Amino acid sequence: MRGGRRAALVLVLALAAGAVLSAHRRDEYLQAARLTVDPARVGVELDMTPGIAVADAVIASIDRDRDGRFSADETRAYVGEVSAAWRVAIDGQRLPLDVTASSFADPDALRRGEGTIRLEASGALPHLAAGSHRLAFDNGYRRDISVYLANALVPRSERVAIAGQARDADQRQLTIDYDLREEAAAPLPSLWLFAGVAGVSLAAVFLLRPPRAARG
Amino acid sequence: MPRFVRLASFAALALAAGISTTALAQRGGASARSAASPQAEATARIVAAAQAVLATLDEAGKARVLFAFDSPQRTNWSNLPSPMFQRNGLRLADLSAPQRDAVMSLLSAALSADGYRKVHEIMDGDEVLRTQGSGGRGRGPGGGGGPSFGKDQYFLAFVGTPSVSAPWMLQFGGHHLAINLTMAGSQATMAPSLPAAQPATYTIEGRTVRPLGKENDKAFALINALDETQRGQAILNYRVADLVLGAGKDGRTIQPEGIRASALTPAQQTMLWDIAREWAGIVHDAFGEPRMAEIRSSVNDTYFAWSGPTTNGSAAYFRIQGPTLVIEYAPQGGVDHIHTIYRDPTNDYGAKIARR
Repeated sequence: MRGGRRAALVLVLALAAGAVLSAHRRDEYLQAARLTVDPARVGVELDMTPGIAVADAVIASIDRDRDGRFSADETRAYVGEVSAAWRVAIDGQRLPLDVTASSFADPDALRRGEGTIRLEASGALPHLAAGSHRLAFDNGYRRDISVYLANALVPRSERVAIAGQARDADQRQLTIDYDLREEAAAPLPSLWLFAGVAGVSLAAVFLLRPPRAARG
Repeated sequence: MPRFVRLASFAALALAAGISTTALAQRGGASARSAASPQAEATARIVAAAQAVLATLDEAGKARVLFAFDSPQRTNWSNLPSPMFQRNGLRLADLSAPQRDAVMSLLSAALSADGYRKVHEIMDGDEVLRTQGSGGRGRGPGGGGGPSFGKDQYFLAFVGTPSVSAPWMLQFGGHHLAINLTMAGSQATMAPSLPAAQPATYTIEGRTVRPLGKENDKAFALINALDETQRGQAILNYRVADLVLGAGKDGRTIQPEGIRASALTPAQQTMLWDIAREWAGIVHDAFGEPRMAEIRSSVNDTYFAWSGPTTNGSAAYFRIQGPTLVIEYAPQGGVDHIHTIYRDPTNDYGAKIARR
């Protein structure tokens, strides 16, 4: 009887696990990157969501002391590990990125398949001449278990126009071709300022000129 | 006739004409007001149905369902089941039969006939998931922090107070469903919303049901209606494993890819708009029709992109993207688990219509 109850309990737990698995990504680590291109900067946002079958492996690579929590040192080390696996280049020249923000779901949320780790990074571009440029992004982190998304966001600057995107078959690598336009000519307010200064100067010359001597 | 008499006569005539004109104008205005627009009529019916829900609730129930319009609840939705994702509002499981009926009547008033069917079928699918488990393996756990499946696990919330003039939002959602309907006077938007399905095909009362079957079949029909050159532009040469702009990805616009709608033949364009209607037409027809006109007006800047096999029955991702539209359809590994998203980058959560 006791054995029968145990078997039933095992069956219920197995079915429960099956239902959980069916609802979520299972054995993949989804890494979704979005890249922003501005005239002077490149930004990367990365959302990392482990499936429940690989969550323990991901948690173990963060929670090095196995205390069930992510300390500041542990998350800092993990951010370094992830970002070290990126390769970013502008026109073939390596572009270093700084991670500017990160957030970690707690381990339980990651185990349930609902937790996401978010990283934001950016890098200053060297001075680029107007014309065509190529930004290349390669995310090599945890290739053994990961699936990838990589997309360029619509540029915020009107000086940047994306001409095309190319990817490898699994979106680990993204190449963005874009056109950088010249900065706009002198804006109208400067012309008004110039006209105003000129007007005041002329008025001053007129008002301050010495009076003509009377003929007599 | 003395001069002053003639002047008095003219003055009297002018006064009479003025009074008549004013009266006619007022009658005309009243007439125009009494012929309310379809949007205003639909709004009035939806607000009345929402107020009917509130009338079934005690004070505690009202406190659970009502949220401030600017509260974080506005963006609190997910495709995940509860309680893995913490939903707020009224859970159907906690309602009496009349209260549930009032909620379903509200959905019926707010959605088109096809939209209401879709919502029902998504919920029925989740009930199948609960009773049979994935692949008919068993029952979902439903407690102890594990996911809860089934028709009882859907939540209603009002973000803002239902009104025919002030902005408010009707939220209804649970596992694989998020309806976010923002209303502002006689305008409405259902972006962002997430209709999804698992199982994507099931049998109920001897009838085969595919909640997102028309979306799938129409998209395969379009990709197979393209010639080789068009397919070369539409088909992406990489795998898309999931939604790019799913839950939690508000406020972002990705660079569009694929084939421009303007590069399609008129017949192919009709097929494209017919796919878009599967999402844009979930809302009541009074709002769905003008929305479709808006989507169609951007034919030069709307794109159709595809990733995966082109034989119907395969798992393939597709996206329709225009200035005011993002639709994604993303199978989750196979054909029996589908996630989709519907957005308007200019009007998610009523950004355009609900300014206060």
